[in-house]
Amino acid sequence: MTTTTSKQSLVGILKSYRLVLSVVALYGVAAINSPERAYHAASVAVKTFAGVAPIIVAVFAGLGLVQVFIDKQAMARHLGDRAGLPALLMAAAAGTILVGPVFVVFPLLKTMRDHGVSWAIITTALTAWAVKLPMVPLEVTFLGWRFSIARMTLTLIASVAMGSLMGRLMAEEPNAMTPTAESDTA
Amino acid sequence: MDPTGVVYLAVVGIAYAVYWRKSPAKSRKALGAGAKSFTGILPTLIAVFGLVGLFDVFVPPALIERWMGSSSGVLSLVVGTGLGSIAAGPPAAAYPIAATLLKGGASTPAVAAFIVSWVLVGFVSLPMESKVFGVRFAVLRNGLSMLAAALIGLAMGVVL
Repeated sequence: MTTTTSKQSLVGILKSYRLVLSVVALYGVAAINSPERAYHAASVAVKTFAGVAPIIVAVFAGLGLVQVFIDKQAMARHLGDRAGLPALLMAAAAGTILVGPVFVVFPLLKTMRDHGVSWAIITTALTAWAVKLPMVPLEVTFLGWRFSIARMTLTLIASVAMGSLMGRLMAEEPNAMTPTAESDTA
Repeated sequence: MDPTGVVYLAVVGIAYAVYWRKSPAKSRKALGAGAKSFTGILPTLIAVFGLVGLFDVFVPPALIERWMGSSSGVLSLVVGTGLGSIAAGPPAAAYPIAATLLKGGASTPAVAAFIVSWVLVGFVSLPMESKVFGVRFAVLRNGLSMLAAALIGLAMGVVL
């Protein structure tokens, strides 16, 4: 998170830990008002965290594998190749295995858009990115298999629907940014 | 300890062993990338689990029931979608909060809408999305995504 600055300022530290600090403050208030319940809350927190810690570690180790071994650029190149529903389905599949933070995924999709990929495909991939497949073990632990599978399936369906809808809504966009304008995808 | 955690660790360990033979350099890079995302998210996770504890003990179930319970109907969907849209953070943090809400009496549709809007809608990242894709795209996409989150929540209520 702090790759740009070698020396972290106090403000920077405070900023990245502001959530932790607020929670600590909340515990402080709770402890003053009702020490037993604050202790109970802390023990619930520690117990929950300890219970899922191995899964969290496994999920992030797996995330690293996906991040390194899936060639995002190649995936982006292939997405421009098709049109119509097959293109949207492929975009949904690509979005599902897409891993990375917002500041990686947004620019990647923007680059695709600049190369003439339709808004429909961009939206579908972006929406399917919300499936968060690598996070599923964690989701299952907290919410169960049925919840996780239903949510993923419905999100995938929504990604294709959103894609074709956005493709239509963005079609009348006044400024065509690239000479290779919208193909008849949506 | 939860046995599923051990199983996942074993699976990922085997995957690493396989890839390590194929390409040690890339595997090391993968481990580094994973560690980097993990340490980046760790403060947030600590805070979230701390919150879950406080929530569990101090927030009366009646409050959750009233705003997100199944008897609240449309209101629970709106509250779930709204909370998820405002909240910004990694999905890993959304699941424990969602589980706490469910335990406190929130309905499945409300919690599903909360999770989906958490990952799909970003009020906080709206300026960045507008800068990258244009205001029109960002506003339309986030608006439609809120609608989609509520609809997915509804559908989840029917399916589960």
